[in-house]
Amino acid sequence: MREYTEIALGIAQEAGASFADMRVVEERENRIFVKRRSLRLIDEAESFGYAVRMLIDGAWGFASSTTLSRDAVAKTAHRAVATAQASSKARRTPPLVMAPEPAHVATCIGPCEEDPFAVPHGEKADLLLSACDAMLGVPGVVMTLGLLEFSRVHRIIATTDGTYVDMTTTFANPMLQAVAVKNGESQERSYQGGARQAGYEFIRSLDLAGRARWWAEEAVLKCCADPSPVGVMDLVLDPDHLALTMHESVGHPTELDRILGWESNFAGRSFIRPNDVGSLKYGSEIVNFTVDNTMPGGAGSWFFDDDGVAMQKFPIIRDGILVGLGTTRETAPLIGWEHSVGCCRADGFRSFPINRIPNLYMEPGSREEVTPESLIAGVDRGVYIQGRGSFSIDQMRNNFQFGGDMFWMIEGGTVTKPLKKVTYQSQTRQFWGSCDAIAGPSHWKPFGLMNCGKGEPSQRMRMTHGASYCRFRAIRVGEAKV
Amino acid sequence: MRTKDDVQALLSRVLSRISAPQAQVEYDFSASLTTRFAEGAITQNRSGEEESLRVIVSFGTRQGSSIINSMDDASLERVAERAQTIALAAPQDPEFVPPLGPQSYPVAQPRFDPKVAQATPAALADHVAGIVKRAKAQGFVPSGLMSASSGVSALATTLGLFGYDQHSKLSLSTTMHGAHGSGYAAGASWRAEDIAPEEIAGRAAATAHAAQNPRALEPGDYTVILEPLAVAELLLFTAMSLGAREGEEGSTVFAGTLGTEFFSSRFTLTTEIDDPRLPAPPFSDDGLPSRRIVWVEDGVVRRLHHTRYWAHVKNESPDPSLFPLCIGGDDRSVEDLVGSCHRGLLVKRLWYIRYVDRKELLLTGMTRDGLFLIENGVVTGPVKNLRFNESPVTLFKNIVGLSRPEYVNGSMRVPAVMSEGFTFSSVTESV
Repeated sequence: MREYTEIALGIAQEAGASFADMRVVEERENRIFVKRRSLRLIDEAESFGYAVRMLIDGAWGFASSTTLSRDAVAKTAHRAVATAQASSKARRTPPLVMAPEPAHVATCIGPCEEDPFAVPHGEKADLLLSACDAMLGVPGVVMTLGLLEFSRVHRIIATTDGTYVDMTTTFANPMLQAVAVKNGESQERSYQGGARQAGYEFIRSLDLAGRARWWAEEAVLKCCADPSPVGVMDLVLDPDHLALTMHESVGHPTELDRILGWESNFAGRSFIRPNDVGSLKYGSEIVNFTVDNTMPGGAGSWFFDDDGVAMQKFPIIRDGILVGLGTTRETAPLIGWEHSVGCCRADGFRSFPINRIPNLYMEPGSREEVTPESLIAGVDRGVYIQGRGSFSIDQMRNNFQFGGDMFWMIEGGTVTKPLKKVTYQSQTRQFWGSCDAIAGPSHWKPFGLMNCGKGEPSQRMRMTHGASYCRFRAIRVGEAKV
Repeated sequence: MRTKDDVQALLSRVLSRISAPQAQVEYDFSASLTTRFAEGAITQNRSGEEESLRVIVSFGTRQGSSIINSMDDASLERVAERAQTIALAAPQDPEFVPPLGPQSYPVAQPRFDPKVAQATPAALADHVAGIVKRAKAQGFVPSGLMSASSGVSALATTLGLFGYDQHSKLSLSTTMHGAHGSGYAAGASWRAEDIAPEEIAGRAAATAHAAQNPRALEPGDYTVILEPLAVAELLLFTAMSLGAREGEEGSTVFAGTLGTEFFSSRFTLTTEIDDPRLPAPPFSDDGLPSRRIVWVEDGVVRRLHHTRYWAHVKNESPDPSLFPLCIGGDDRSVEDLVGSCHRGLLVKRLWYIRYVDRKELLLTGMTRDGLFLIENGVVTGPVKNLRFNESPVTLFKNIVGLSRPEYVNGSMRVPAVMSEGFTFSSVTESV
């Protein structure tokens, strides 16, 4: 591949590029989708393509192609030059520069014990059909969904810094859902374990068919449950639920491109200002968030990001104070940072790499004696929420409303009954400021997310979050009109 | 871009490699330019084109599919072989429907404009530079996206079906930020003449100018005038609930509503295919011919969407795509609606809409880029953004006025909707 990357980078340098890269992406996907008892889809997809990106006089050019030949690469590079020249018509002042990064040369392969592409399709389909059949066997369940999605991504990135990295990652993403109708209500319950950078061994570890009936029974249970209580009360949130809460209210606001206003037209901006780093009180003193793009099995553990920056681990929030941000090589210098922390990724060869949420998790509490049960025992009146449900947040990442997948009333320190249609509303810093207890390390759990949407044209991205069970005091519950 | 004959020959070549008794081959080509800008400068500028091919084969009711984005002979051989291998190992599908034979497609309105296909990065950048210059002169920070794309979608089956659709799309959206408020405007069409960047930028700037320094308003139930962009956002969720099978199973808000007056008598929802400004593709993904469909007429639910399988079970006609979706309107302007409103809110746009309760079609989301108080028929000033918890069913039940329909996103034609009792539950400082 080097003969091709050298052509592209040479053309960029001849055109005066201060930085250029060629990113080659080969992707293989396998999806099996079952709806009710119908096997709707088994497919395998493969794609190949590359993009040449270059920064000329501070203006970006980018072109992609699926044809690999010396001529095609040269043509693609020249198209990138043309787009850079066009970009100079509305160029940033002073011109963009890339944060420096040492040259990396490496070949990296992510975890995959059992190749999912070698597992017979029939076996995968049977797993989903068995799970859906088990769920449909529960009276009241009218519809089920089952999905297994596997992908293998082979990326080569060559840059004018001298970087040449070759990386292969494999992802496994399961989904199961039961929809029940009873007493005029319809409720859902889903698998909540998320995705992982792994092979088929991850799917085998989940016992999806064995647990399917339990999700279906809880979907029916929800139909008959009491509606949400209304008022200010305490919440105990499980790790699967918190994955989404932290994604929306910590992950996105700490993306530097949003802070700089680069997502104004679509995903929105952030309430954080660059000089808030080191001083902004984000949460209570027990709230600690860490980025770890080296996390084994992390959906965002890509070895090197799409700027060619080595992935790393660093704190974002310590003792409740904002101490870090997610950056790219083009955004970091704009706030005076010398280096990027490696959060630049694209969802395919055809996409322009942008600032993305990394693997981001909440540190567990330090005391093992703090358990989910002890958190609940400390609540006089509140709700215990499991899993992810409805979610919505404003474009500055302040005002949010979340639901969940399963809800339980807490009264007098005890779970007393199931609930349905629970929502809670808060403002980001107020919410994290109300966190008063976190369960210990043995209750911490990762959650891989495969479909974070951002950017124009829209891109999907993967990352892993993680948390232990947490308790939040005095949150507004039940304001949605249900 | 391949010609129609080239595409047909390519699909025939693929079908000839398939030994399975039934197969469908789908071809897509897309060439696109996207110029993204923020903080007054171009932040991304990309150019790309790609072909892809999907093969779906079936042996009896066993089905397999494979996709590839390379069209050389070896790749075509591989994609056909792989789909067949998958199908042979697949379990039987009790809801299998075979591919379609020849269909009679409507005489299609043009959907392809060579001017859009021939757009250059320099031409898009010129428009963006103009928007940036105008915004800066007015004291606003502009951001946005301008995109020009063109492509082909085609399909063929072993039973003799062939469909071909050449299309293009030019779109521009822009947000103008002032210190204490913002405005947004967008336009999209298959033809270049419909998109006037200066006019779109002017609308965004006018809203941004009016939106500065909003005051807080107590959340609660309000009469609202949702402009077409906001209506379209809610209509998308309504459309996703129109499944006939799900309605019959009782999991959607349309359960038991067929033939009943479920909405305001002012509300009519249709799929229209003959609007030259909003032409439907000749066929859906599954090859069904596009056709006009009345979903809701004068408030009465006339039809729910039948997939090919469900149509077979219910002995009904299967329905093609819901889009382009259209809501009928009246011959009034948004200003006329404002003039008829005693006290209410003018909503320019909604954001981050999600289900709260799928069965009831209860949604939550935020207002964004312009929310204004109306008092005694006049817009009296901007107010801070609010979170809503409301159902589009309520919105369309409580209609008290409609404007002339406008085109939104290149996929819908909807009016501004004036409706009573729309519920907002909290306020945000975010602008």
